[in-house]
Amino acid sequence: MIEEFHRWDPYALEAEEKSRMLSRELMELTRFHRDRCPEYANFLEMLGYDESKVRTPADIPFFPVRLFKEFDLLSVDRGAVFKTMTSSGTTGQRVSKIFVDKETAMLQQKVMLRILSSFWGKGRLPMLVVDAPSVLKDRKAFAARGAAVMGLQFAAREMVFALNEDMTLNVEKFREFAKKHQGKRFVVFGFTFLVWQHFYQELLRLGERVDFSQAFLMTGGGWKKLESEAVTRAEFKKRLHEVCGFRHFLDHYGMVEQTGAIYAECECGHLHASIYSDIIIRDVQDFSPLPIGKPGIVQVVSVLPRSYPGHALLTEDEGVVLGEDDCPCGRKGKYIQILGRMKSAELRGCSDTYGAEFQ
Amino acid sequence: MELNSNDLRFLVGDLETLSRMPETPVLPAFSEKAVGFLSQLSRLLLRDKRSGTDVKAYAYWIRRASLEAAAREGDYRNRLGRGVALHIAPSNVPVNFAVSMTSSLLAGNCTVVRVSNKPFPQVDLICETINGLLADAWGDMRPYVCVLRYEHSPSITQALSAICDLRVIWGGDHTIETIRQASLPPRAVEMAFADRYSIAVINAEAYLECSSEDVAKKFYTDTYYTDQNACSSPRLVVWLGDSIRQARERFWNALDQLAQREYTMKPIQAVDKYTAVCALGMSRPGVRYVPGGALVTRAEVDRLTADVMDFKCGSGCFFEYEAKALCEIVPVLTKRCQTVATLGVDRERIRELVISSGVRGVDRVVPLGGTMELSFVWDGFKMVESMSRYVDG
Repeated sequence: MIEEFHRWDPYALEAEEKSRMLSRELMELTRFHRDRCPEYANFLEMLGYDESKVRTPADIPFFPVRLFKEFDLLSVDRGAVFKTMTSSGTTGQRVSKIFVDKETAMLQQKVMLRILSSFWGKGRLPMLVVDAPSVLKDRKAFAARGAAVMGLQFAAREMVFALNEDMTLNVEKFREFAKKHQGKRFVVFGFTFLVWQHFYQELLRLGERVDFSQAFLMTGGGWKKLESEAVTRAEFKKRLHEVCGFRHFLDHYGMVEQTGAIYAECECGHLHASIYSDIIIRDVQDFSPLPIGKPGIVQVVSVLPRSYPGHALLTEDEGVVLGEDDCPCGRKGKYIQILGRMKSAELRGCSDTYGAEFQ
Repeated sequence: MELNSNDLRFLVGDLETLSRMPETPVLPAFSEKAVGFLSQLSRLLLRDKRSGTDVKAYAYWIRRASLEAAAREGDYRNRLGRGVALHIAPSNVPVNFAVSMTSSLLAGNCTVVRVSNKPFPQVDLICETINGLLADAWGDMRPYVCVLRYEHSPSITQALSAICDLRVIWGGDHTIETIRQASLPPRAVEMAFADRYSIAVINAEAYLECSSEDVAKKFYTDTYYTDQNACSSPRLVVWLGDSIRQARERFWNALDQLAQREYTMKPIQAVDKYTAVCALGMSRPGVRYVPGGALVTRAEVDRLTADVMDFKCGSGCFFEYEAKALCEIVPVLTKRCQTVATLGVDRERIRELVISSGVRGVDRVVPLGGTMELSFVWDGFKMVESMSRYVDG
């Protein structure tokens, strides 16, 4: 039962106890989805899933995350769908469709809030979002960013968008927000490259200096784009400290398919799995689970998805588990590093790539 | 629109040659000019240290003996070129442009090949060698060959299509759709090579009598050599016979061992294959994933239906079926089915099955290991015949 999880601090469980609780809950979810989602039942049948052989969360069949783009997967009646979340995919590609019912939505919010309060303390905080307000409206264009902002909306006491529709800094709004909250606890949230390009660079150019030393800079979306411009994470933090006085950084890894159970960055710079979810790194050669320190394909499990079979997913990211139960920050569970999206393969053969060239 | 040299980058020939083509007299089929030119090209490429496996295979295919054998296969006495032939070559099989050009020259056409903008050393090597020949003893062939590149442009494709009598499109459904937006002159004909799939049929007993390593090498050439992404690469393996269990185990083990030595797989390919198998498995009951290494990904189906072939992946992703009788393969012999590769199954039986059941697919039945072989017959076209014109009477 999920209630059992809520009784614990989100980072309280050590490996053995967490594995026991997660396995039991994930098995129950697997049964639940099998009984309600025929495609998922076929998937389990194909793998010859045998519940009696499950010992750890790694024994639950991992479902390829891309299939949410190709199939509409629901474990509830369509009428019970409270919202449909869509996610990433570059132009022209199909997007994931995640069907969320009331129960799953509430769980997602509750868990997100529990996780975040472990970092910024109890209660909702004012939030400055480094994005344009349309990110919530134009869902097709910015699906991943929109989903991330939407996921945080309820955790914010008030939400102010720092950018104009053309992605320039809304200087007036920014100054107003800074004046009102400077020196107090609040959150600045944005995707790393937006924060760098449209927030930091702009403040630097304008010569704005503010005291955000009590604030949390929460980021997401990965580091690929910045790294390609030779901006390291350390450099990013240093520069944002210089201009805004930020001391608290809260990067996170998450995906729309497992909203709520995010992997948030601790004071030591590690992304942590909470008791509600876990990461299993798999070997590319045979998908077997890899030990701590060995990089491979990221699989995620989460006990939150109730309305769609998204509780055990094979992602298209690579990562590594850095350690378990022994982070100096004191949080129990695995802490990880995400190495980024897997590179696409350029295949030989006479498939249709010329047409793409002609478009 | 007027063609001009700013838009076209010539690897062989020039704008003047191209502009004169509509007026250039075509050649008879298998003319001594074309045969001599190609066989000299063959000699030079076979001798060239820079030639890799694919260029060598091409060069071997166009040596004089092979061309003369092809000429004897049909009656080409009253045949000559159709006129200007425009070939749109695919972007990811480097020597394909030369294969298409070869049949076109043998048919007697003035041949224009558009190659991909993606640079390939094979393309450079073959074009450089052709240029050497045209500049020297084979100047007579100069009016008949142009190889060029251009940035995507419907107006250039239209201008080239407007002067052609034959258009040959490689590269699959999407390319065909795009190129067909350019209209053809009333008398022109078109040969389009669409997306296809291929299958293998193996008799278990016959297999068990073969060297498993030898068969693995052949099947590897059929599949992994082109990332299992060629139209002719089998994606479905159908087993016949009584000792299927034993044969299957030995077959896949041998292939896995070979792939471990020879094939470089990126992580995303492992995920892609697992995703493709799961997509099939979700779409219907009766699919069984066969656990094992990710190099050889496979799933077994309990009945053969055409939709099995919709789940395409490549990189070593196979579906398998144990058949009681050969006729069970009929549902997958759709119009998209190109090649049936066989081991221990009489090719005549497959041909008979195709003809007697009246299916729309199967243009080619070859022994396992032979799917990649170059041929003057492709996708059901006798290439030189289809590219030439017959004078009756």
